[in-house]
Amino acid sequence: MKRKVLSLTTVGALAVGSVALSACSGGAAGGASGAQTDGGTPVKGGNLVVARAQDAKSMNNILTFDNTSIFTFEQMLQPLFTVTADGKGTTPLLAKGYTISADKMTYTINLKPGIKFSSGTEMTSADVKFSIDQDTKYASTGWGYINGAIKQVSAPSKYVVVVKLKHPWAPLIADLALFSNAVVPNNYGGKTMDAFYQAPVGTGPFKWGEWKRGQYLKLVANPNYWQTGYPHLQSVTFNVVPDSNTRKLQVQGGQADIDEYPDWSTFQSVGSSAVNAKTFPSTELDYVAFNEAKKPFQDVHVRRAISAMIDRQSIVKAVLFNHGTAANSLLMPGVPFYQKSTPGITKDAALAKKEMSLSSVPNGFSTSLLIPSGDASKLTTAQIIQSDLKPYNINVTIKQLDPTANHNAQQNMQYEMGLSAWTMDIPDPDEWTSFAVDPAGGAKSAYTNYSSATAIKLNREAEQTVDPTKRAALYNQLQNVTAHDAPLAFLYYAPFAYGVSSNVHKFQVTPLGNYPLADVWKSK
Amino acid sequence: MLGRLKFVPMRILQAVPVAFGVTVVVFLLVHLIPGNPAESILGAQATPARVAALSKQMGLDESLPQQYLHFLSNLAHGNLGQSYTYQTSVLSLVLQRVPVTLTLVLYSVVLMLIISVPLSAWAASRPGGARDHAVRVVPLVGLGMPQFWVGVMLLLVFAVGFKWFPVGGYGQTFSQHLWYLFLPALTLAISVSPVIIRSLRSSMLNVLESDYVATARSKGAGGWSLFSGHVLRNAVIPAVSIVGVNVGYLVGGTLVIEQVFAIPGLGSLLIGSIQARDFPSVQAVALFVAVFVVVVGVLTDIVYTLLDPRVDLTRRIEV
Repeated sequence: MKRKVLSLTTVGALAVGSVALSACSGGAAGGASGAQTDGGTPVKGGNLVVARAQDAKSMNNILTFDNTSIFTFEQMLQPLFTVTADGKGTTPLLAKGYTISADKMTYTINLKPGIKFSSGTEMTSADVKFSIDQDTKYASTGWGYINGAIKQVSAPSKYVVVVKLKHPWAPLIADLALFSNAVVPNNYGGKTMDAFYQAPVGTGPFKWGEWKRGQYLKLVANPNYWQTGYPHLQSVTFNVVPDSNTRKLQVQGGQADIDEYPDWSTFQSVGSSAVNAKTFPSTELDYVAFNEAKKPFQDVHVRRAISAMIDRQSIVKAVLFNHGTAANSLLMPGVPFYQKSTPGITKDAALAKKEMSLSSVPNGFSTSLLIPSGDASKLTTAQIIQSDLKPYNINVTIKQLDPTANHNAQQNMQYEMGLSAWTMDIPDPDEWTSFAVDPAGGAKSAYTNYSSATAIKLNREAEQTVDPTKRAALYNQLQNVTAHDAPLAFLYYAPFAYGVSSNVHKFQVTPLGNYPLADVWKSK
Repeated sequence: MLGRLKFVPMRILQAVPVAFGVTVVVFLLVHLIPGNPAESILGAQATPARVAALSKQMGLDESLPQQYLHFLSNLAHGNLGQSYTYQTSVLSLVLQRVPVTLTLVLYSVVLMLIISVPLSAWAASRPGGARDHAVRVVPLVGLGMPQFWVGVMLLLVFAVGFKWFPVGGYGQTFSQHLWYLFLPALTLAISVSPVIIRSLRSSMLNVLESDYVATARSKGAGGWSLFSGHVLRNAVIPAVSIVGVNVGYLVGGTLVIEQVFAIPGLGSLLIGSIQARDFPSVQAVALFVAVFVVVVGVLTDIVYTLLDPRVDLTRRIEV
């Protein structure tokens, strides 16, 4: 099996090839740059309280996959590069810049001198080499598969790291921007891996505080932070509040400052004079997956017909209360190389009839739609789809399984149609396209069994094409092919929703979902 | 007196097979549910190959009997295993949560008694009167309403509206714990009180009509001394059994209440662990709850025996 290798182009930056990038500007280091949405003079101090549905699981950045953990340890652990505010590129963070050899096989990365870990020790190239090597070492059960193109990392001098590749790999810098490649002290500062992650040490604006599992996790300002004047906050406390109503009431009552992921059904009521109901552009795509291992979904006409039957606007209205947009492409607007003109199938009665007449089941059929239980949005979506397909004699039974069982059924291809979603972790389409169209990516093409020689070829070429213009052309073709073949019925692009207290300033969420807190401050 | 408590060691011994049975049932049930902890951990990044690799690393590729034997072997050494979710000792997780849930349950029992005893006495003092009808009917509303709804309503009125209490959470100090847990404990108490009130009221009416109360009255007893010394003590005996049974119900109720009020107790640990297929944590919580319910049962029998000298649980009854 080919491991999923991410193709992370630093869009724009790599257009000029071996150009040393300038340091990040605008906004504090530690996160997205340039996001300035509210003014005022920052106030020092204060404890930011984030109410979230689930507790973090672990602070191990190379073995942990849940967002609550990731958004937490990202405040402490920083990679060499970070994602830009629009989510479509990278910018140096701990690195000063880099150069690429003429054969595109060697990247020489220069580090900013004088950066210290929260322990007070200076970060050097040895720490960087150790961190990337550790990530790669745990490829089979962690995030290290993203380093699949890396042949060797070396540290020739204190502030220089050299990365040699197995083959040209344009996305390397974006690979290094993933949190799993964040820099930790060499040999974990003499600790075991388990011991280190009980109280991790990094270069981020916050350092480890206290964790009462199931109750709260507290981070405190890092006095050794390398960006003078940051962070503004004295501490951040992530409180576990499982019930969405309680989270909303806590923010409205001033007990919490941020409601992480309010339900769409309650989102409008989150806002008040003291709380802003905010949406941020995301990279979320919600879709219907067709299992091509089961008849009649191997028939492209059936997939196209169903795609043309679904009223996406109704779903956006009923599920997102008009906060999202109907999807037209395999890629999301927040992802590099998204093609706005992709001819993704939308509701079209004439097309639906035509495709049904050309299909192997022109008179209709009965099928099922698998959704995770306890998800009101997915249930509403499923009911709308059920209703949309009924006039064409396609009788859909909605099948609900609890989220883990639902995922298990999809993985084992024990479903016919299923509702699913994807959000990017890195600013490059390859993470998703390799998962969705390449059966060798390990996920049976997003568990659809879709296997198009054209799509696979386009995706693999795009993975290894350094020139962004050529790469864009390849991804445009890939989007057109998948729009035609409809292995997935693209439903909608949903933004991220947050309830933010009006005394919290500069709170921004990147399209990848993470929210750097170095810039954030609270007014009295 | 002590002779009548000879049944206690036997009851404790009887708890061993009960706990063992619970481990078997819970172990089998959690493994019967479709889904794999490795899939839960890997989330959207899960591929069959990576799930297989992580499953092997977690020992989930072993047969069920092998896994169960490992669990029992570890249990015999006081080791409940490692949480798949938190990657830490399950015992430490459970021990962190036990005081929280115990405090909540005891708090709700206290509130339940504070609500039930005066109301049932008030009702029994005028049987058939307006107050009696009111006490018999109004608390039933609490029994009929879902706990999560009662909880949210209490939050809206007393936390958001009057701002007398916090909107969920647990606090840091003991006094804060009592403040934070008041509304959730009240929610639980409201749901159980109607049963206790009806039981106590009925017992009190029986006692009030008994000869020994008439005798006490003829000797000049009345008011509080008659109520506490003769009526309540005898009326409370059947209610003790009902309270004991309902403690198990209260522990079950914490599953919902801890979610609504963001309380870091065993209930929220259990729900999170089931969702994540964190088998060791599910087994540990179920085992603890089973042992707790058995212990409450034994304590109920002890209290019952101490309150009523006629009760002798060591005696065999020939039918």
